[in-house]
Amino acid sequence: MAAKKNLLGPTDSDSSSVSDQSASNRSVNRSLRVAEKERRKNEAEDPLVLALKYFSDVEAGTPVVGNDEFENNLVLVERAAYSKGLSSEAVAVMLEFAMSLRMGTSPCVRVLKCLIPSTVVPQEAVVRAVVWLGVGKIPISTQVLFIKWVLTVFDMIDAKDQLRSIYGFIFSFVTEENLCPFICHLLYLLTRKESVRVFRVRKLLELQSKLGRQPFLLHLLSLYKVFCPELVTLSVPSRMRSGFRNHNSPWKSALIAVQKRNGSQVASSSSLPFTIKDMSSSRKRKHGHLELPVLSSLVNKQAQTESFSRKLVPLVQLHSFTQLLENMHRIELPAQMGSLLGSSLALQYLDCVQDESALLRLNFWLGYALHEEFLFCGDGRASQNSEEALQFLDKLLSTQHFLQEAFSSSEAFLYKFLSVWDGSLLRPQILSLLSHIPVVPSAQIGRLLFEPLMQLFFTSSLFFKCGLIECLNNMLLKWLTWHSVYALEDDLDISLNSHTSINMTLSGFKDSVMELVHFVGRLASVGLQLEGCHSLLLSFILDFYETVCDTFLRYGLPLVVMPPPAVFYPVLFSPDPVSVDRLAYIMYRYKVNLTSAKSQEKVTEQAFHISRQTFREFNNYVVVMVNCLWNSKMFHPGMGVQLGEELLLKSNVPQYWTSFDLVNHPAFLSYAVDFHQRCWPGRKDVDLNSIKHSKPWSWYLEYLYSQGYDGLKQFVPAP
Amino acid sequence: MGKRDVQICFRFPSGTLEMEPPPNGVVRTPLNSVVVQRRSKSKSYRLSYRSCLGAASRLGFTPALTARRLNTSRRAPRSRNISEKVNSEQLALLLKTEWRLSYVTPLFKFRHTQLKSYSRQLSAFIAAEKQQGLAVDVEGSQSGFRVSFSVVQGMTETDDDAETVLIQIHTNPLFARQDEPQRSVWSGLLTCINGNTDYLHSLPKDFICLPLFGCSGSEVLTTLVKSWFQQAFDCSFGPLEISHTSLQWLVALWTNCHSESGIQQLKMIWTLPVVPPLQITYTVNPQDAWELWSSVRRDPQEENEGGEAGTSIDIKEVMRFVQGLKGHFYRHFRLDLSSGSLKQVSTALGSAKYNGRIKISNSRYMITTLTLLTECALLKMPI
Repeated sequence: MAAKKNLLGPTDSDSSSVSDQSASNRSVNRSLRVAEKERRKNEAEDPLVLALKYFSDVEAGTPVVGNDEFENNLVLVERAAYSKGLSSEAVAVMLEFAMSLRMGTSPCVRVLKCLIPSTVVPQEAVVRAVVWLGVGKIPISTQVLFIKWVLTVFDMIDAKDQLRSIYGFIFSFVTEENLCPFICHLLYLLTRKESVRVFRVRKLLELQSKLGRQPFLLHLLSLYKVFCPELVTLSVPSRMRSGFRNHNSPWKSALIAVQKRNGSQVASSSSLPFTIKDMSSSRKRKHGHLELPVLSSLVNKQAQTESFSRKLVPLVQLHSFTQLLENMHRIELPAQMGSLLGSSLALQYLDCVQDESALLRLNFWLGYALHEEFLFCGDGRASQNSEEALQFLDKLLSTQHFLQEAFSSSEAFLYKFLSVWDGSLLRPQILSLLSHIPVVPSAQIGRLLFEPLMQLFFTSSLFFKCGLIECLNNMLLKWLTWHSVYALEDDLDISLNSHTSINMTLSGFKDSVMELVHFVGRLASVGLQLEGCHSLLLSFILDFYETVCDTFLRYGLPLVVMPPPAVFYPVLFSPDPVSVDRLAYIMYRYKVNLTSAKSQEKVTEQAFHISRQTFREFNNYVVVMVNCLWNSKMFHPGMGVQLGEELLLKSNVPQYWTSFDLVNHPAFLSYAVDFHQRCWPGRKDVDLNSIKHSKPWSWYLEYLYSQGYDGLKQFVPAP
Repeated sequence: MGKRDVQICFRFPSGTLEMEPPPNGVVRTPLNSVVVQRRSKSKSYRLSYRSCLGAASRLGFTPALTARRLNTSRRAPRSRNISEKVNSEQLALLLKTEWRLSYVTPLFKFRHTQLKSYSRQLSAFIAAEKQQGLAVDVEGSQSGFRVSFSVVQGMTETDDDAETVLIQIHTNPLFARQDEPQRSVWSGLLTCINGNTDYLHSLPKDFICLPLFGCSGSEVLTTLVKSWFQQAFDCSFGPLEISHTSLQWLVALWTNCHSESGIQQLKMIWTLPVVPPLQITYTVNPQDAWELWSSVRRDPQEENEGGEAGTSIDIKEVMRFVQGLKGHFYRHFRLDLSSGSLKQVSTALGSAKYNGRIKISNSRYMITTLTLLTECALLKMPI
């Protein structure tokens, strides 16, 4: 009973200690108490907690057979154990329940088998259970099972000091023939120099003479000999089978599964773990290219150490950003740079130091891993390990995101990978990697990027098309952002200052951007035809042009490229009012950019020259839009879209010139009808033309703007 | 770049290897090279902009961009008596072994002056790894494995090639008598012969490029050695196959030597992709092979105008030669080998297999073969 109190104690004593301190800080305390209450309430409703409560409170001697309550609760615990593992309190409760034989021996084995800890095993619980062994009612096979369990979870026991203090008690079990091998193993793990005593050595030797030269006895004795050679005179053979037999216990696989599951959850919840995860839990792979090396300090440094007066701090020893700052001047890079990929702290340092060799080492490793995994594999190995590949790429992506630049090795890898990619393997990851690549000189951009991407684009699904357009939009955004940062700094003259050694001039950069924009224009034109102007694709294309139309004002890049007609007209005639509105917004931004460029051209000579062609294209589009939507002058001679007079007559569409104005445009027709009903609620027959009278027309426009079509409003500002 | 100017010179011109370890002032460079400083904007400009296309960076040598591929023409193997230059014991080891090949990314801070220390470290590493799982060293002080690193002098072809390094692991036989010598259980080779100069020059001084790694011996030791190298020099190892084209090159290069030293026979193993898979062993009389080879060689007269006679072999000649061999086979067996691939070549000068195993039997043509393999290894470099 005392045990029970102990086990359930912590929550009570916790809250009482909290209330003790309450005098000092009331507000904090209150919120703590509220949180605590909340937690308890949640726990009270959790069936697992109830089940555990059952096992800690159940009376001794309660029958097992036909006891549904027991059965249900045990099933609950088992399920939790195999899926997430048991918390340390739960392990304590269940272990106590099993070993005390409160409900007899039959549930004991079953409970032991499901004791899979999720984090640690409390030492006290193990000690108590060992004590229960001494009571002597537990069948030997169950005792063996228990010791095997202790051996399996040995590394997860939170402390070993109390276990060591009952070393003698545990030792007394070696005389039990069936337990002996396992007890020896446990003793082997617990032995300290002070636990080696003459009487114990004698006991073991006695056993050995009885049982023969058993490996488990020999191992324990050899350990004793290491600690106290004078006590053990026996000669230990020089070559022994290594280690104790690895008991293929029932917990191993379940434990690994639980750890793996918990581990992966942890990894996914925090994209960049602050410290490096221990590699020991990761399962062994046949081809381990994607395994990050363990962060470790340099191996061969004796050559340097003596000559150094100041002490270097290996990166492994730093655990917080503050420590990093304090030791900034004397940090030693790790032996394998690849290990940095997992640690945000290390990346911060790398970003700050900008050591070329270090970056190159990282790049060599990264490039190697990517090549081996995705390019040299040949026999479809990549798809087998897609889970690992996915995690690896995600990690790489979050790293690049963190550093805000791509690794050159991943860039070089992508150029090769694009030509063999099927467009579906790890698509989101590959596309995001692609969007990170830095500006490609216009001379190579076609061969490296456009050719493989074009093939993929035209042969893949709608979703790939959308994904690719989005990726290229992100790429353009990154290029432009990069430009806007440095162009401002260098007064628009990025045409290469002495300190840079890149041969990319402003005009070179402009060429690359222009190539990219034109390329997307081509993809969009054909893509829209192929997919029947699918509105999803249209939306991604409009995203792209929202970036393009603002290059001058937002990013300071003197470049204006208009969308091709095969993009402009499908949007203009799209049955989707949002697309039309976004087009109007884009045209409005083009106008603002062009006017501001023009005014700058007058002020400074530095400003750029926009070709007449661009102005002509822009004006043409504006005229078409205004004529079509506002003026009901569709197919007016001199506009972009022209059809023969006879053909139009033949179509038998009455008043064909009005068919794409804001009233009759398929995108806005429903609004017109709605407006008509509100304006003239009494009228039975709908005459949309009546909206076109000057008063209702201005009301109608107001109505449209009120529906959120700001693009239209900005495009044609109210007079 | 925040890098101090003092650098250790580790590209030794051949013959100066017995150099003393440099004085302290020089040795301390490497760690100093990481100078923490505020990142100035101009600097980040440069680095951010360092794409693999940037002219400034060594990455301008990106394979994807320069389309690095096997040379289309190479010098014909000159019979070179390297036995005069190379230590005979080392040479014997190089020749008697069949090497399993890997490529290695450049080694960071590898120094030819530190080989003794590397030997110690690798021995200790192997001992430590071998004892994992054993809590106590039951065998006593003698750890069993003795590692020795040594430089093979006289192998380099150009000044840019780093000196070849040979690694041997010896152990005491299991039931050894006192006086019994240690037995060699594993050997490894790191080399670079006629490495691409542009590539080697593009590497910063901290790196040393020995891209070709060959080993023979137990797989366990190979794994241990590789993982020690990975930790000590931050490099990576990947398998190196000898491709179909490289094997064809070897067929031609070796046949080309027949007039000087007999190849005994030209044996090729081809596989054809049929069900069940068909493996063909195709053996050619050396004299016939030589005559066929001579017939596909360019007219020596014509070549004389260009330069020295018979010094260079072109890929076209190789292809013509292989085509001739295939044609002959077709006439006899009605089987076209073009659909299959060459998996293995062997002559008296050596043998090479697709899975990256090579044995070089004649020292006089070793350099040519190693040049080809170095090229293959450099092709696999990620950047």
